[in-house]
Amino acid sequence: MIPLSWRLLAVLLLALPFTGQAADALPGDSVYLLDDAFSDQAGKPFKLADRRGRPQLVAMFYTSCRYICPLIVDSAKGVEHALSPAERARLGVLLVSLDPARDDTAALASVARKRKLDPARWTLARTDAGAVRRVAALLGVRYRALADGEFNHTSALVLLDAEGRVLARTERLGPVPDPAFLAAVKAALATGAPPR
Amino acid sequence: MRRFLPLLLCLAPAVAGADAGWAPLPGGEFRSVLRYEDTGGVVRVAPFELQRRPVTNAEYLAFVKRHPQWQRGKAPTVFAEPRYLEKWAGPLETGPQSRPAQPVVQVSWFAAQAYCEAQGARLPTWSEWEYAAAADATRADARSDPAWRERILAWYSVPSGAPLPDVGRTPADVHGVQDLHGLVWEWVEDHSAMLVSGDNRNQGDPDQMRFCGAGALSMDDRENYAVLMRVAMLSALEGRDTTRNLGFRCARSPQAPKGKQR
Amino acid sequence: MKRHLLALAIALPLALAGCGRDNPNATLDTRDAGKDAAGSSTPGDFGPPQGEPINAILTSPPLVPPATGRTAPAKVVVNLEVKEVDMEMSEGVTYTFWTFGGTVPGSFIRVRQGDTVEFHLNNHPDSKMPHNIDLHGVTGPGGGAASSFTAPGHSSQFTFKALNAGLYVYHCATAPVGMHVANGMYGLILVEPPEGLPAVDKEFYVMQGDFYTTSKYREKGHAPFDMQRAIDENPTYVLFNGSEGALTGDNALRANVGESVRMYVGNGGPNLISSFHVIGEIFDKVWFEGGTRYQENVQTTLIPAGGAAITEFRTEVPGSYVLVDHSLFRAFNKGALAIMKVEGEANLDVYSGKEVDSTYLGDKAASLAPVASAAAAEKAGTLTVEDQAKAGEALFAGTCSTCHQPDGKGLAGVFPPLAGSDYLAKGNAELIKVVLNGLSGPVTVNGQDYNSVMPPMSQLTDDEVANILTYVKNSWGNGGGNVTTAEVADVRSGTARSEGAAH
Repeated sequence: MIPLSWRLLAVLLLALPFTGQAADALPGDSVYLLDDAFSDQAGKPFKLADRRGRPQLVAMFYTSCRYICPLIVDSAKGVEHALSPAERARLGVLLVSLDPARDDTAALASVARKRKLDPARWTLARTDAGAVRRVAALLGVRYRALADGEFNHTSALVLLDAEGRVLARTERLGPVPDPAFLAAVKAALATGAPPR
Repeated sequence: MRRFLPLLLCLAPAVAGADAGWAPLPGGEFRSVLRYEDTGGVVRVAPFELQRRPVTNAEYLAFVKRHPQWQRGKAPTVFAEPRYLEKWAGPLETGPQSRPAQPVVQVSWFAAQAYCEAQGARLPTWSEWEYAAAADATRADARSDPAWRERILAWYSVPSGAPLPDVGRTPADVHGVQDLHGLVWEWVEDHSAMLVSGDNRNQGDPDQMRFCGAGALSMDDRENYAVLMRVAMLSALEGRDTTRNLGFRCARSPQAPKGKQR
Repeated sequence: MKRHLLALAIALPLALAGCGRDNPNATLDTRDAGKDAAGSSTPGDFGPPQGEPINAILTSPPLVPPATGRTAPAKVVVNLEVKEVDMEMSEGVTYTFWTFGGTVPGSFIRVRQGDTVEFHLNNHPDSKMPHNIDLHGVTGPGGGAASSFTAPGHSSQFTFKALNAGLYVYHCATAPVGMHVANGMYGLILVEPPEGLPAVDKEFYVMQGDFYTTSKYREKGHAPFDMQRAIDENPTYVLFNGSEGALTGDNALRANVGESVRMYVGNGGPNLISSFHVIGEIFDKVWFEGGTRYQENVQTTLIPAGGAAITEFRTEVPGSYVLVDHSLFRAFNKGALAIMKVEGEANLDVYSGKEVDSTYLGDKAASLAPVASAAAAEKAGTLTVEDQAKAGEALFAGTCSTCHQPDGKGLAGVFPPLAGSDYLAKGNAELIKVVLNGLSGPVTVNGQDYNSVMPPMSQLTDDEVANILTYVKNSWGNGGGNVTTAEVADVRSGTARSEGAAH
């Protein structure tokens, strides 16, 4: 019989946002160790660790952003266009909303539709406010909510390897990709595992 | 006794914080040292509760005993850099260099967050911290008093090699909170909102692209260098960083006055 | 190369043709005829670095790293540590300095124009504050400050090309900047011109700074920083190299007679401008503001806050030379003082030291009118006792009064009185003899024994002696009477002069 104290301990452990419980444990510097719950533009729930297995381009944005955020999508697309179709198929793109309060699933789906983002590769995600802070901290993104609902934020495109470790990041945005960053993407895709 | 332990764990998430206790702060409108473009520097702070003292080594030790994934050596480096709890004698042992009543330092933002959430609380926001720190023994906002500034500045003159004093040694302010100044830097929930440029002399520099629609935050009240230095410090840190002079305390929404302490 | 020769060929005859006095900057002018100014950023990019990366030699003050000796641009790696350190700023007075490299000023960095510098700023884990660096020799945002903001226990790296030659200040630029600089976060980086600086025997690194404390000047104990005094620009200390003892006593700079000395002098501020002067030396050359051109024969040069200057001189005479900020109360009441000891052979042609120390009577000239009128009266034959006494009074003061006192009372047991003295009964001849030959050995005056030495006063002329003795005989209740010039002349010729007498 498991003592009450042990059971409660287990409950507490599971209630915490992060535990390393994958079959073969994630490396200590993996962003996927973050255990918060996310959902995508189709409303399907997932965890970051589910994206294990192929390199990812990750960025943060919000749908009502007027200045930079359209550029973030352009930047990710720019990287995609510079890849061969085989390379493209091995890369995933994850955009996480800074504004879960207003970016509901419908808003995310709308952006995906407008920008013609292929759901096989592109995931537009939302999570709760606390998790947004944590993801931003892991990706090195700084942001501040403004009174009118806009955000001031730094903008970066981050390259993760198949295990969720940061390989490269660039703050140079635009449809023409940063050459050093692009080289890192190609290198990661050359060694990456085939898509799951 | 062991039977009661899990009961206590369930019912009193603040057990580890029982020593510190919580002080209620009324909040209100508050003029920040940072010139926020959108609100003109005026910030509205909702009423909240703040721990009276920073979290101690003893309290943090209790936390890592119950949450082994936060023990030194087990906490992944993505959440806590290698110097996490470096001065402790062992992962479950504070040792002679880290007295139980000293504020815990060399903890990352992720670790501090986890501790606060385990208490059913959270880290204070920068605005809450700034609002609380403006107080002295008799007033909620003592920032125009040179003595308030001098006391804070004196801390920077204290050599850093000396061991940290225990928490709770200095008089409480008007809210009943101690040690907001002069002991350790403290994490806030939104330190990553400190969007300041690495060169703080570029006040009013119109580089709009840098922070998506806004230039860097300007420091409005340059005389409040005491607070400016905190902003500078927080803006230099990443979530996994730790330093020998950086600790934390928790905040929470106001609790119901009657019934069991939750 | 051809263009250089052409420029030279055109400029040289012009320079020679126009010359009366040599233009000391002529070499620079001819070199740059038809080009941008010497050392400027446009021609300062000599292309990519060549060869293996070099680890820069950093020195603590007052030492300077050796000349690079390079002829091609290189990649130079600089590792500079930021440490918050408690040190003495005056005897018994400690201060929490924030430093580059553990010293105030921070380590001296030496590179060559065109070098690519890979800069690593390392903030010690014990630091309380984040820090960064702004090097005035960097062309780029914040001088590097934007790219070097470093939390305690972290390191930042950025790279820049040193496009301009010169001597540049570097300092921390983290808010509040004034406080970081006031706590000692400054130093110098020398970007040598491509041909290098001429060799000298000694090079020194000196940097002035102002310090603001809540405690008083030299009040013992730990001195906290005083922000209000800093805002008011009212320093407690103004120091060379961060402490009163940094360059004095055993730490004085040392050189030998006949050496060429170059001082790289910076001013970290944060507030004050320095009027830099070396007492007893003249700067043969001053590269004012650390730039490319120099002025010659300068006594005191201004060094702006956040600026620098290079001074050069040759030592000729041994002794202690005091470096000061010539705003003097800073030097003598706030500590802006350093010493350079020069050792070697004396050079009396250039400086003799004190040759003569004689008495100067100050008011003698003004009061000698009666002497002139007595001389005139004597010529005219109308000299009266009164005239003599008045002249004698003027001469008595300062000559005789020193010992016998203005009231003629002398000094009990030491110098006999003249007032009411029974010695006067000895007669004029005796008195004249005493004045001309002096008097030593035991003598009794007015019942008191004296055994002193009165030096001979034979340098006085006959009428001077006559007038003085007339004055004595007619003062303080003495009997009266006079002494004539002729009487004096008689005694002078009739008695042998004693040793030490003039004539």
